[in-house]
Amino acid sequence: MNDWVIAIIKVVFIWVWTLLVAVVMTWVERRGAAMIQDRLGPNRAGPFGLFQPLADGIKLFTKEDIIPANANRILFILGPILFSLPAFSAYAVVPFGDKIVIAGKEIILQVSDVNVGFLYVVALGSMAVYGVIVGGWASNNKFSILGGLRSTAQLISYEVPWGLALLAAALVYGTFSLREISIAQQGTFLGFLPNWGIFRQPLGFLLFIVAAYAEANRVPFDLPEAESEIVAGYHTEYGSMRLGLYLFGEYVNLCTLSALMVTLYFGSWHLPYLNMEAFLGPISYGIASFLVFFLKVSFFLWLFVWVRWTVPRFRYDQVMGLGWKSLIPLALANLFVTALAIQLTV
Amino acid sequence: MAKPVVEKRYTLSERIYLVEILKGMVLTWRHFIFNFRASFRPGPHTVPTCWQYPEDRREISPIFRGEHMLLLDEQGRELCVGCGMCAKACPAQCITVKMAKVPEGEEGRYAGKTCSQSFNIDLLRCIFCGFCEETCPKGAIVLGQGYELARYTPEECQLGKERLISNFRDAKAKGTLKPPRKPVPVAGEAAKEAEEKGSKAKGTRTGPATARKAAPPKA
Repeated sequence: MNDWVIAIIKVVFIWVWTLLVAVVMTWVERRGAAMIQDRLGPNRAGPFGLFQPLADGIKLFTKEDIIPANANRILFILGPILFSLPAFSAYAVVPFGDKIVIAGKEIILQVSDVNVGFLYVVALGSMAVYGVIVGGWASNNKFSILGGLRSTAQLISYEVPWGLALLAAALVYGTFSLREISIAQQGTFLGFLPNWGIFRQPLGFLLFIVAAYAEANRVPFDLPEAESEIVAGYHTEYGSMRLGLYLFGEYVNLCTLSALMVTLYFGSWHLPYLNMEAFLGPISYGIASFLVFFLKVSFFLWLFVWVRWTVPRFRYDQVMGLGWKSLIPLALANLFVTALAIQLTV
Repeated sequence: MAKPVVEKRYTLSERIYLVEILKGMVLTWRHFIFNFRASFRPGPHTVPTCWQYPEDRREISPIFRGEHMLLLDEQGRELCVGCGMCAKACPAQCITVKMAKVPEGEEGRYAGKTCSQSFNIDLLRCIFCGFCEETCPKGAIVLGQGYELARYTPEECQLGKERLISNFRDAKAKGTLKPPRKPVPVAGEAAKEAEEKGSKAKGTRTGPATARKAAPPKA
């Protein structure tokens, strides 16, 4: 019974936390964009405009909910749900801290330590494209369907280097469990570097981050919703909270991808050269490991914003060319070199 | 001749994107940090390109044409004689003036022998061209510096005599009052007029005809 309660608490905690981060991210995105563009951004609602997401939420909820006359109603309603659900579910296997000992009971800071956690994340990542293509198709609008088609092609293209980069990482750690991967990153590598994935797989990380930007439909690969070409892409016909769900799902997606990047390549909850477990109490260690993890995640969240307002959008043939002609050969080479190195050293 | 197309040869560092992207990110980071710091400084106008409007207003040009006002002279008498030249000059036909003789016993209120019984400007039609100001023979109407003209009902957008005169009093109190602007003649016309003046010793024509031909003054 107690295990059940703990599991539920963990689920609710990480769910609320992700929601909160996604909400704050909408504010960070807008303020960050403004600052980069020599503006100030929303600074009226509350201190520093922090209540702006609330105002946006109220606006989205109270707006008229329009379903176009010739749209496929069921799929139209299903689209945003299909998009945001996988984004939330993927967080279930990501460890958001090491462990916390409360009243003699050791609690692992992870909703569930699935031994194929890796594959689960990849599978759910591919699920998100259904939300996009279903929404685009159901809208019965040329721009929407174009956005959906672009998204499909893009996700299929970038899933390959993504998967290959992850495969190389799996080779290095010899496991699919994200918790075991996190634990394996403790200590130092080659004597002086932190034992983080990025130093073992630098090219793998690069491929992963580029593919992750494409997976999340973020600039410079935001072709499914390229404003200057196809209005708003797959969510052209969406309004009110259905649009909100799409936008929200995007930020939750960013959270998941950032968490994955940190888990795989940036040592999860480990601080470099410092073993926190040795000098922190059981409870404070749990909290500290969560905070360290979250700090790293927030850096990558900010990186998403930063890159968005720096890099212009790629042309569609450039996106496809980069995916198929550069990333996939590089990913294959990376996989080959990694496999060779492991074969020779073991 | 068409411009020859030059195919740009990209260097290796440009072709692999990453170096250029990092350069760009350094640039955006500098902008971010500059504005981030500026946004924490006290005071309203800290980010140089941003005017925080209600607290922080730009300076208006002295020849700005905003909300109208009817001038009073030093003795506090209305300058307007109700001749209706402004109404005739108005291209948007937003001015309605009713002329009347100055009622007996009220000579102290009006500068002329006649006065405007009512004076109405429909701000919803006004295009703020300033022809009324240029054409007024008494220099009685001026477009002031007020630009916050949004109202909730169309009725509130009718400028009556009371509001016109209170606009004048406000401007005087604020020190933003300026003399009525007169048409700037176009170069050719100015020479002709000067010639006419020289030969016939006639006064310059004023009125809608000149006003319409007048070139807009440099802003």
